[in-house]
Amino acid sequence: MKAPLSWIREFVDVEASAEEIGAMMGLRGLPLESLEPHGDDVVMDFEVTANRPDCMSIRGIAREIATAYQLPLATAKAVALQTNGKLPITIEEPELCTRYVGAVATVTVGPSPKWMQDRLTMCGVRPISNIVDITNYVMLELGQPMHAFDLDKMRQGKIIVRRAKRGETMTTLDGKKRTLTEDMLVIADAGKAEDIGGVMGGAASEITSATTRVAFEAANFTSSHIRSTSKKLGLKTEASSRFERGADRTAPPVAMARAIQLLEEIGAGTFTGDATDIYPRPYQPKTMRLDRARITGLLGMEVPDNEVEKILKSLGFEIAQAPSPTSQAPAAWEIVAPPWRVDMHRMVDLIEEVGRHYGYEHLPATFPGVEQAPPPSDPRIARDRRARTALLAMGFSESITLAFIEAKAAEPFLNGNAPVTIANPLSELFAVMRPSLLPGIIDALSHNRRHGRADVRLFEIGTRFSPNGETRGAGFAWTGLASLDHWSGARRPADFFDVKGVIEQLAAAYQVTPSFADVSALYLVAGRAASLVVNGQAIGTFGQLVPEIAEARQWPRVDEVYVGEIDLDALSAASRAETLRAAALPRYPSVVRDVSILVNDSLSAETVRGTIRSAAQPSRDASARQALELIDIREFDRYQGKGIPDGKVSLSFRLTFQSPERTLTDDEVQAAMQQIITALTRDLEAVQR
Amino acid sequence: MSEQNEISRIEAAREKFRAALAEVRTSSEFQELRNSWLGRKSGRIAEYTSLLKTAAPELKKELGRAINELRSIVETAIAEREKEFGASARPKNAVDITLPGRAPQLGHRHPLSLVRDEVMEIFTRLGYQVLEGPEIEDDYHNFEALNMPGDHPARDMHDTLYLETPIAPAKAGALQPSRPLTLLRTHTSAMQIRHMENNPPPVRLVAIGPVYRKDDLDLTHTPMFHQVEGLVVGTGITLADLKGTVSAMARELFGSAEVRFRPSFFPYTEPSAEVDIRCFKCAGAGCALCKKSGWIEILGSGMVHPAVFEAVGYNPDEVTGFAFGMGVERVAQLKWGVGDIRLFYENDLRFLEQFGI
Ligand SMILES: [Zn+2]
Repeated sequence: MKAPLSWIREFVDVEASAEEIGAMMGLRGLPLESLEPHGDDVVMDFEVTANRPDCMSIRGIAREIATAYQLPLATAKAVALQTNGKLPITIEEPELCTRYVGAVATVTVGPSPKWMQDRLTMCGVRPISNIVDITNYVMLELGQPMHAFDLDKMRQGKIIVRRAKRGETMTTLDGKKRTLTEDMLVIADAGKAEDIGGVMGGAASEITSATTRVAFEAANFTSSHIRSTSKKLGLKTEASSRFERGADRTAPPVAMARAIQLLEEIGAGTFTGDATDIYPRPYQPKTMRLDRARITGLLGMEVPDNEVEKILKSLGFEIAQAPSPTSQAPAAWEIVAPPWRVDMHRMVDLIEEVGRHYGYEHLPATFPGVEQAPPPSDPRIARDRRARTALLAMGFSESITLAFIEAKAAEPFLNGNAPVTIANPLSELFAVMRPSLLPGIIDALSHNRRHGRADVRLFEIGTRFSPNGETRGAGFAWTGLASLDHWSGARRPADFFDVKGVIEQLAAAYQVTPSFADVSALYLVAGRAASLVVNGQAIGTFGQLVPEIAEARQWPRVDEVYVGEIDLDALSAASRAETLRAAALPRYPSVVRDVSILVNDSLSAETVRGTIRSAAQPSRDASARQALELIDIREFDRYQGKGIPDGKVSLSFRLTFQSPERTLTDDEVQAAMQQIITALTRDLEAVQR
Repeated sequence: MSEQNEISRIEAAREKFRAALAEVRTSSEFQELRNSWLGRKSGRIAEYTSLLKTAAPELKKELGRAINELRSIVETAIAEREKEFGASARPKNAVDITLPGRAPQLGHRHPLSLVRDEVMEIFTRLGYQVLEGPEIEDDYHNFEALNMPGDHPARDMHDTLYLETPIAPAKAGALQPSRPLTLLRTHTSAMQIRHMENNPPPVRLVAIGPVYRKDDLDLTHTPMFHQVEGLVVGTGITLADLKGTVSAMARELFGSAEVRFRPSFFPYTEPSAEVDIRCFKCAGAGCALCKKSGWIEILGSGMVHPAVFEAVGYNPDEVTGFAFGMGVERVAQLKWGVGDIRLFYENDLRFLEQFGI
């Protein structure tokens, strides 16, 4: 709300400068947005919160300033309006239009005086003509929107407040033809809608240079109704923004009297004496209770009684009853709120008035006592920290991406689900909620690539969305070198087994024993994709990103990108961390043996490992199983090429044996090795090398 | 004449050499000294020797003698100190410790994640529980229960993003029937409601997480950002308690404990206040960071509105409470001087690598 200082000073004799007033009012709830000099005046632009329509007027702002500086506020400038009921006004919808004051004047239309034009301009309102300018001037000064009709254009000179008819059209003052709906309120003459009540007037009854008789309107419209009409029409005006926050029902006659006073003062016309005030829903004053103890109880500071009363009175509240100094009953005031304070509903509203004008600078800084031990925090916080720590330690930097993505980018990741689509997205780029963390991470890779970084490891921990709800995941991508370039040589690009290693370590971070299965996913290259399986349930997917997907996000297709994503909810549910028991360390040494074999290269490593495992521990011999355990199998070499027949692969395993009971003898280990080699030869047609 | 001068210069060089040798402390300084005197091409002795070619015959002999004498002194002295500084002093398997190490790669934390953790730590220490909640919400928890019914003007401040197809809720609060999830939460305050519906007072929590508004991407806005929301409810909780709490937090986060409250308006608090901290950069003198005001706005807050208590089944005559909400991006911007908020969402390694782990 823009307010020229000179205009404010007509209501409150404040000596402070505009800057000083601005600083003071910022601490009293009416912050200054900007100051702009205008000739020898200065325009103060105050930021008015949504609950204070009364401050959308010069007088309202002046009242706040008067309270802050403990100065008197000048009383109304016009005498009371005399009505004779001769202007025919009908209100058909008293719930939507609670009051309508109309008055008739004969006028000579022309420009308004310079001082009036200047003030309107300073407030950001364009001067139009003396009659229209008067309505705007009164609105700015008192906060009551007004309108003026060319009365000779009103059929039968009647004013009817009714709902619009189905399909009724009207051209508004901005020149737009609008189709109205039955839930909108109009001001009509005997035939047609002439004004969208409380929002904008109509062009047909607009004041022109030929106008000689006007009907001024000062009415009260219900806030929720104006709000919905303004929204439906996409039309926000000075009037609608005041009414939709709630206007003072007692203000229309005061505003009308002021308009008539200005009309005659600037010589624009004469009031004919015909005025009507239809007031079907009279304002009921609100009486509120204010407990002295509650002020201290809520604010944590004491405000002296005389300060409480001074502040409230200055803001226009009436003290109907003060707390009795002798009574044993809890001390309380009976307070009557002024009609313009549409935001007054409860005792706390009064306490805020007292608090803010007494000054929060008087608040002590105390600390609330802890009454009981705090309940545990969301378990996901500690849980996610494990994945974050593990990924950071594996060289991945943490990214945070926007949770909405392009519909096209989401498609390969939907996994058969419908996308979670935004009804009113900012743009196509933010059309759906991500079903996976990977699209965002892939875009981040591309961003880094565009800025000269080809070796990138990024991860994100965040929410994925599907029609089944939200899940928390950790996603990551690895592209470029497997390790930092180093002078000692050995560059190697990251590959499938690097991401598999990451998945294995993540599982280890949660003390989960992983297994892996082939998987087909639209976004992973076939044959280079796997799922992490825990307790028979697939809880993660990883592999090489389909080059077309990377390419669509501006990543060069020749550069391989490896990605993985794990469901953290499922991973932590499978975690054994909660039931972990530390095992005693082995008392006897372990024995290590290597074996190299030649097998068909179509055999999976898991098949070979399985054969070794079952051969080492024949289940029928319980005592042998106890005596000797194969505790680890590790592939340490895999070779194809020169010296190896086509279709074969040379595999080398390192096997570790141990007994919980004693030191193993060479013979025992040798026997076990023989069993293993026999099984490999028999079951897998392996040849020992 | 000039050759005579050269002779005296060469004789004077002996002292210069002795002085320089006395200054030598390291092996590299020693090598440097040796090169500058005995170097075959540009060493000083080589330089003097070249004078012989052009010297007058009668002086050649004397010049030659002076040079030889100097050479012998230098060679002897260098040889004497060789043990101490020379190549043989380095163990055979010594490495060049100035070559770069083979570092295992270490990732970097995202600054928003760092702030989030720091705030969580502060409040955990102050006896709060930390909660995260659903990001897709229903209208009731995001607006209605927070004293913002259907046509409330304050809803305009929250440009809400809605789902095209509502999602059926998995679990509802104790007091509220299941409601379809229709929107992206515009603030973490929705979590307050969910918590209070299911837990009796007292309450002492912070909720942290992403929130969404229909704001275009620019220097100061992103359509997704992160909020920290604090809520304390109990008997006798006051606005002064809020001041003490915010002051404690500001001291930990910014090293500035002086706060001021400016009255404001939020539908879910009454009274409401915006909180500024004394500018930690200029200590209040006025600078670019605080736009010359000496104060920096960090959060919105207030005393929980009685209507909110009624919505969750708390008795507003028995309990009071305060709530505050703060932007994580804003804190990170202030802490590290990040001008453009979009940097947080680009995930540019050149940016991320400025932060630790
Ligand atoms: Zn500053």
